[in-house]
Amino acid sequence: MPPTRRNSGNAPTGAAGAAAPGAKGATQPPTNNTPPVAQQPGAPPAPTLDLNSLKERLKDTRAIGVFTKLSLKNQVDDLLSQLRAFHAKKTTTSLPELRQRYDLLLLKVLSLLQDGDPPLATAISQSRDSIWGILSDPQQFAKL
Amino acid sequence: MGRWKSALALTAVVLGYAGVVAADDASMSKDLGATIALQGMPCDKVVAAQRNGDSDYNATCKDGNRYHVFVDGTGRVVVKKL
Repeated sequence: MPPTRRNSGNAPTGAAGAAAPGAKGATQPPTNNTPPVAQQPGAPPAPTLDLNSLKERLKDTRAIGVFTKLSLKNQVDDLLSQLRAFHAKKTTTSLPELRQRYDLLLLKVLSLLQDGDPPLATAISQSRDSIWGILSDPQQFAKL
Repeated sequence: MGRWKSALALTAVVLGYAGVVAADDASMSKDLGATIALQGMPCDKVVAAQRNGDSDYNATCKDGNRYHVFVDGTGRVVVKKL
């Protein structure tokens, strides 16, 4: 039996998997004098973040093996500890440094998912700023 | 003829099983390779993996590097160069 990748269980669920038109285009230079979609007044809002849904989909995806998932979880937990220390003012690590670590971790996740589970990779990529918004805000972080 | 058919069926079963095992090995090697890379250690591709126990493997990479990959008592994945 050849190795198969089943992504049927990884279809986008909830708002986290919703497409965000213009999310990528916003970083590209405008063409034909058309302003970036994100700047249009009638543009659809960014996808509502559903952290729990993303977490479940990461747990369920078959694109990453068990060891890799556990390794990623260790690194996520480490980052959360560093953020907790930052919010408690118990560390000298600055917010930009933590953002850099967050970006690096997300890059690792995306590189692991992009071939095996592209919908999840897209959902996470589109939620990057929203997730950071929660992590960097002491009030929202405390509710996690 | 009956014996021939039985032998053929048995071969198919064995080959099918071997295919499943090979697929499992391939996904395990890929998993170990990604885990080693996540820890920032060099490994272009895992070419052999030896199971030592539950969540405990020795991995050999194509470039010759060998690693002990296991989950410690606190639930952390540890990668040690051998």
